[in-house]
Amino acid sequence: MEGEPLDSKLSRREVLRLAGFTAGIAVVAGPAAACGSAAKQVAGTTSTSTAKETGALQVLDWAGYCNDMPHHAMYASYLKKYPQNKPAFHFMTNESDALGKIRSGLKVDLFRPYVGWVEYFASSGLVEPWDPSLISNFDHLNPFMVKAGQYQGKQYGIPDDWGFDAILYRKDKVKPAANSWGLLFDDRYAGKIAWFDDLEMITIAGMHLGAKDPWNQTSAEQSQSKSFLISKKHLARTYWSSETDLWQSFGAGDIWIAYAWPNDWVQMKAKGLPVVYMHPSVGKEKPIAWVGMFMLLKGTPRPNLAHAYVDSWSAKPSAVWLENNYGYGHANTEARPTSSDLLRALQLSNPHAVGLPNAYLDRNIPQRATYAKLWEEVKAA
Amino acid sequence: MGRGEGGLTVDGTAVEAAAPTARRRRRFDWATPSLLGPPVGWLLVFFLAPIVYVALYSFHVRVLPGSAPGTALSAWHLGTYLPLFWKSVQMSLIVSALVVLVAYPLAYYLALSGTPRKYVLLLVLIAPFLTSYLLRVLAWKVILGDQGVVNWFLTKTGIEAAGHPLSFLLYSRFAVMLVLGYVWLPFVALPIFVTLESLDQRLLEAASDLGASRLQTFRRVTLPLSLPGVVAAFLFVFIPTVGEFVTPSLVGGTSGYMYGNQIHDLFNGGFPDWQTGATLSLFLLGVIAALTFVFVRFLRLGEARVA
Repeated sequence: MEGEPLDSKLSRREVLRLAGFTAGIAVVAGPAAACGSAAKQVAGTTSTSTAKETGALQVLDWAGYCNDMPHHAMYASYLKKYPQNKPAFHFMTNESDALGKIRSGLKVDLFRPYVGWVEYFASSGLVEPWDPSLISNFDHLNPFMVKAGQYQGKQYGIPDDWGFDAILYRKDKVKPAANSWGLLFDDRYAGKIAWFDDLEMITIAGMHLGAKDPWNQTSAEQSQSKSFLISKKHLARTYWSSETDLWQSFGAGDIWIAYAWPNDWVQMKAKGLPVVYMHPSVGKEKPIAWVGMFMLLKGTPRPNLAHAYVDSWSAKPSAVWLENNYGYGHANTEARPTSSDLLRALQLSNPHAVGLPNAYLDRNIPQRATYAKLWEEVKAA
Repeated sequence: MGRGEGGLTVDGTAVEAAAPTARRRRRFDWATPSLLGPPVGWLLVFFLAPIVYVALYSFHVRVLPGSAPGTALSAWHLGTYLPLFWKSVQMSLIVSALVVLVAYPLAYYLALSGTPRKYVLLLVLIAPFLTSYLLRVLAWKVILGDQGVVNWFLTKTGIEAAGHPLSFLLYSRFAVMLVLGYVWLPFVALPIFVTLESLDQRLLEAASDLGASRLQTFRRVTLPLSLPGVVAAFLFVFIPTVGEFVTPSLVGGTSGYMYGNQIHDLFNGGFPDWQTGATLSLFLLGVIAALTFVFVRFLRLGEARVA
């Protein structure tokens, strides 16, 4: 259930085992602690520090990346190493939802917003920077994405999965006039289009209408984007916020064109649908690239376990699994999917795939509250 | 009257000031507060306190840290949201009225036809409750989709041309109202059934003895006496559906988007706006309370007229 830790209950046997384990650690580690050895641990030697950290690691993450992930693939090595500190998951539906939960008192150790929110969270005082030296796989992560996780020179975000916001369409039904975001607003396909239920639609409309900076539109540009979306709203049959809803409606033929992510293309191909994942390229239009970023909550009682968890996510086997099964790229540059189609679609051989000239890396929206309000007004209109 | 100077008995008569202490103690009636205490406490904690809390957010007294700046009344300019509210009220009124119209004959048959299987039939009526709400709603997507059961049937029978499905069946206001009607039908039928079943049969016999036809009996006796149940049933549907957000989010699409979705999205959308979300919630609560008051008033007037 949303908002509830899933694996947080310990059986009596587990409690006794944990108590014995903790007592044992206290005997062994006590003298060292008395000597004041509180120096930071380096990668591979964090066992003493992590042993001091008790309880389940509290993780706030998106559905599909929690206990519902097949074989716990992305954090299997963490589970093996720290069976006493299995992650207890809390679900977030988007960054705003995560923000609301954290602000209203949910205690988690780490969470996973996307790159456009790094600056917001880093400057909010809610999070603290990571210590990359505790992440053994850190050196294998894409330097471009690593840099995107920095704020004022500190590593607030550890990059993990990445992909694009672009357009998915049925090639047997749709003949795009151009490789443009305009396909989401094409009158010829009224009632067969799905928009994404997010303020990013304001950014996309701005980009399509030629706003100078779609992420930081002027008041006039904002009004233009809002009016444009309202005027085209009747063309969209539905807004989607959950991928499973999109797969259901697209797979059932109710939708032919959708704002989509690479995984949606993978899923629809797997259903045997003739689909194209189109990257807008007309004029200044480009797909918007995103990168998932683990962020560490300030004052967490389990910082070393959080680092170990992120290290597990950053390992090559985890990365390959993610690419093969979820159709997203991974920041680990050594990972390659087995599908050559996916390799091409994600341009995994291009270390700058998420940047110019290929795509716009999603970025901070200075007027995020205004954008959100505009989007709500579009829906209410 | 000072302490120890006597008091009142249960029936209000004065007693002597010199009454024994033990007897005075017995005079305080603990039954009423002990019976009323738990429900009143429950309402205070789980109904009134949350509303006050929501109101504090609405008037910017409490603020979610990091929220956009605002003033006490900045969220109360509801002009943008009123058309959506009115649309939701309209949809809800239509659903409630249609469901009552469908449910009444059903309840009438079950309660007054004298069929020996009425409780079996009643069980059949409420059988959908045995499955989850979400599953019942999702099942309609399979039925109403472009390649769903209805469109398949229409195409097979030649009523519609292949490749031109009836798109309004799903992701539309129609879909939302149809599914809401389906979901709430048993809730409407039950209170009407209970009212009709508890009707004094002698009144119906008297009407018949006095020469009234079945239609006249229904119009002048059964319907007025069952009106409380009808109004209760109507409110049972209207109140929750006007703020509904699960069904429209599943089958409503862009055109079936309702006021409840807006509230949900303000709390959970692109950037949390708890002040506006709280304001819309309070506004909904206030309007629903006012409408309920009007309905109940109307009902009392109706009862008085019947009497």
